[in-house]
Parts: sequence; C-alpha cells; structure tokens
Amino acid sequence: MDLKARAHRSLRSARYLLGGLTTALPSLAGYVLLPILCFSLIVAPVLPWAVRPLRALADAERRRAERVLGRPVRRPYPTPEGNAYRRTLQLLRSPGTRKDMAWMLVHGIVGLVLPVLVLGVLLSLLLTISIPLWWWTLPGGTLTLLAAPLTTWMQAIVLSAVCAWLLAALFFWLAPATVRLETRIAEIMLGTWTGAGRRIEELTASRAGALQAHEAELRRIERDLHDGTQAQLVAVAMRLALADRRFDKDPQSSRKMVLDAKTTVDEALVQLRTVIRGIHPPILSDRGLNGAIRSLAAGRPIPTALDLPETDHRPPAAVEAAAYFVVAEALTNIARHSDASRAQVSLRYDGPTLCVTVRDDGCGGATPDSTSGSGLAGVRRRVAALDGTTRIDSPVGSGTTIEVVLPCGS
Amino acid sequence: MRIVIAEDNVLLREGLILLLEEVGHEIVAVVGSGPEIVPTLLEHRPDVAVLDVRLPPGFRDEGLRAAIETRKLVPGQPLLVLSQYVEESYAAELLGLGASGIGYLLKDRVGHIEEFQDALERVAAGGTALDPEVVSQLMSRRDPLDALSPREREVLGLMAQGLDNPTIATTLFITERSVSKHIGSILAKLNLPPSDSGSRRVRAVLAYLNA
Repeated sequence: MDLKARAHRSLRSARYLLGGLTTALPSLAGYVLLPILCFSLIVAPVLPWAVRPLRALADAERRRAERVLGRPVRRPYPTPEGNAYRRTLQLLRSPGTRKDMAWMLVHGIVGLVLPVLVLGVLLSLLLTISIPLWWWTLPGGTLTLLAAPLTTWMQAIVLSAVCAWLLAALFFWLAPATVRLETRIAEIMLGTWTGAGRRIEELTASRAGALQAHEAELRRIERDLHDGTQAQLVAVAMRLALADRRFDKDPQSSRKMVLDAKTTVDEALVQLRTVIRGIHPPILSDRGLNGAIRSLAAGRPIPTALDLPETDHRPPAAVEAAAYFVVAEALTNIARHSDASRAQVSLRYDGPTLCVTVRDDGCGGATPDSTSGSGLAGVRRRVAALDGTTRIDSPVGSGTTIEVVLPCGS
Repeated sequence: MRIVIAEDNVLLREGLILLLEEVGHEIVAVVGSGPEIVPTLLEHRPDVAVLDVRLPPGFRDEGLRAAIETRKLVPGQPLLVLSQYVEESYAAELLGLGASGIGYLLKDRVGHIEEFQDALERVAAGGTALDPEVVSQLMSRRDPLDALSPREREVLGLMAQGLDNPTIATTLFITERSVSKHIGSILAKLNLPPSDSGSRRVRAVLAYLNA
C-alpha cells in the first residue's frame, strides 16, 4: 500500500474513532444511570424506559460498526411476546440487555481512551513536522528531540524528520488497529456473534449453495438425457419402424434405415457415457481417486507431475468426485489457456480434510469469473457445496495455483 | 394430409418427415422454434400440425403455448402435441381448448407407425388422441373407479384415449356390441350422460377423471 493510501486509511480511522465519541460519551453518562438500571430490576416497570435508550445507543454503535465491517451486527434481542408483565420479564432476562450493559461499561472507557490516544499521536506528529518553523524562537537547547537538545538548523530538520517519520509509522499502524479493536468489541459484545453463530450462518449459506449446485446438476443431467439419449432412442425407434415397414417392398432402403438406426445407437452410447461421467466418473469406482487422477494426467500434452499419497483411506464419494472434478477442470484449463510447460497435481490428507493442489508454470491471470469460461466458477461452487474452500492464486505471468480443501466428514 | 411439423431436434425432425411421407402425407412446412409456430400455421392452415412441447428459445413449453395460442386464433385447428414426457397438467391445458382435434402423445408412440397414423387421422378428423400414459396417470388418481369391473376400466382407458367403438373392440378382441354395453354401464356408474359421439364422450370422461 502506498503512502497516500495509508495516510488516507489512517485519517479515516481517526474520523471513525472520533465519531465513536458520540456513543462513548453517552456510555460514560450511563455509568451514572447504571445504578438506576440496577434499581429498576426491582422496580420492574421502569425497566422498559431505561432499556430503550440503552438499546438506541447500542443500535447507533452497531450501525457504525456495520459500515466498517461490511457485514451486519445482528441485534441479539428476541421479539417480545405476551402481556406487559411477561415482556418486562423478557427484557429483564434477555442476555441482550446484559450484553448491552457490559458493552456500555467497556465502551464508556475504551471509546474515550482510544480516540484520545490516536488523536494524541496525530497532534504530536503535526507538532513535530512544524518544529523547523518555530524551534528558533525558544532559547537554544530548550527543545529536546530523541534525547538531543536542538541547537542547530541541521539538527532541527533532521531530528524532526526522524521523529515525524516514527510518529507517522505509529499513527498509520495505530489508527486502523484501534478501529479494528473497537469494531470487534462492538461485533462481539453487541452482535449475536459467537463461534457457533457464525458457523450456523456459514453452514446456512453453504447449504443453500449446495442445494443450488445440486439443482443445477440435476437440471443439466435432465437436459443431457432429454435432448441426447432419449431423443436418439426415439429416432432409432422411428427408423426401425420404417425399416420394418419397408422390409418386404424395398429391402435396400430398409437396410439403410437399419444402418442409420445403428449409427444413432452408437452416438447415443457415447452421449450416455458422457452423461454418466458427469454424474459420477466410473473410473473413481474402479480405481479410486489416485488411479482416476493418474488416468487424467496420462496423455496430457503438458508433462504433469503427480504427488499422490499411498493410503487405503477413501474419502466419501461426493468428496472424491469433487476432487476429481477439480483436477479435471484445472488440467483442462492448463491445456487450454495457460501456455504452461509443466504442471503438478498433489493430494494430501490433512487430518479430516483432503487438500488438492494443482499448479502450473504458465501465464497466470486465471479468474473464477463465470464469464471467463475457465470453469473455475464451477469448481468453486462444487467445492463450496461440500463446505470446502477454494483458493486461486494466479498472478499474471507467474503461473497458477489452485488449492482446494475439502472436509471429509468424521 | 397436409402437415406442419415443429421439432428442433434434427434427428427427430428427419425421422418424422421420413415417416409421415412414407405413409403418404405431405409436409408443407417444418419449423424449429416456438415463435415460428403460430405464423406458419396461420399461413399454411394444415390438416394437422405436429408440435414438440419443448422448443427453443426457452426449451420449456413453447410448443404447448403455441398450441394454445393457435387454437385461440384458429378455433378447431387440429393439433397433435408430441413430447418426450407426459404431464397431466399439460394434457389438461390442451383439452381445455376443447377435446376435438387435439392430440397429446409420447414421442415413443411414433415408432408404432399404424397407431401413430391412426391417432393423426383421428385428430385431423376432429377427434381426440390422448396418450395411454396420461390416461393411466389420470385414472390412478380416482378411487371411485373401484365400482367398475376390470374390463370396464380397460374400456374407460381406451375411451379416454379417444378411441372409437370399433377400435376399442379390435384392441380388446371383443365385439362392438359388448363395447357399447360396457360403455353404457360405465357411463351409468359414473353418472355421465349417455353419448355416442367421440369427442364429447372423451370430454365427459376426462372431465370426470380430472375432477
């Protein structure tokens, strides 16, 4: 990142932290209100009015954090139900209320200290930069920088430059880091964020993806069978019917019909094989993943090195099929687009996961863009459908590495 | 007969042309996509049109929709819709246009030239040709058919396909007289009005099955 972008980001961070004062100061005021809140646990009817401003404050902080995080900070409040008494009781018991209070206590201090700290560094930086403008107005040697009293212009300029550089580095690091801290506090203390919560969201997304991928697969298979095999068989039936009809009158043309039918049957068989391979490559059933990958690599125009672990361990069929699909797509891409001279495929079982890496020394620049026709978007979808991850590293001019990690279940 | 064909699959198109010409029909036009159907039929006014259900550009039910559109513009235009799969609801949509001059068959039937020829002529003459598969789908949904004897259920199925009494008689190896008797008994048991005319009878039976 260049200096300008860094400075820009740090200043934006400082602005965010300053904005945090709008929630930090009321939080501090909340310290005074907290005893009232606690008291109102006994005087329950007051609680709804006491909780409302707290929630408003927490909401304001959530919105601020969301803008920076780029993802929602979900309100952990259950929808209130029942009569007034039950709703009050729910408010009282809601972990959201307790979490909001805890956040208020933390934010009242952190939200004040952090901006002051960052602002302090920024002001020191500005002050240091301006030293050459005014140091001479002070009596010689009064001002000390880095343990050296300033006595000459040379010293003033060099030392202030060094100090400014140090302070700038500190500011550039500190400002974004404190913003990260503050938004993280907001996310954890104000959101429904928990390890399990996030996992559920990821699972929901990948499950939806899996269903979508599954549906697309089924539609593709249906189309292939409907337009291919089934149509071919109907055509064969028509020709055989014609052949039968002409058999006595015109054996010559009857024979031609039979031959036509036979050609169509052959084509139908080829087509059917393609469809079957698309569903589950038979070679996987016959020879396992290693054998299937060996046969993929054999006869490639680009020499392909294989690093396959010798193991009796067999991952679930869906994982094997996906791994095979990844390697097949990647090798096809390499042959078509990469202009590579060498390729490498490696498999690694790492605990409960299967890691597939395909590397080449070609021109790079591969994108998982669905419009690029590289099939990488398909790879990503199929892998995500199994809750796996895909990493594509393809800088222009220096080869492509595709790394896929697939969980194999327990 | 003068026939228009709508079929996008080259193999099937050629097969259909060969087959229909073989049995002495004249193919006046062949189209390969849904939007071409209506204008072509308006231009040629064939004795019957043979339409595939799934056609470009959308590969959904373009053929079926063109059939419905055509019948609105040219009431009574005989249409035989062919498909690689049958759907009760498609049959219902087609028959909603009135059962006369409507056919809906699996493509597989084309391989049985005589039956296909028969269905084609029936549709062209204003009759009905409904695939046995659709009929059995419809019949499997109706429990009260228990009231019918197995033979009567057979006759009902053939009736629903649009066959006339002589054809039903030949198919089941029985006399036309006993076919008439069975039909009378079926219509009575199902509380349908007695009727001899083909398409009105089919409509009544299908309406009953579809209810």
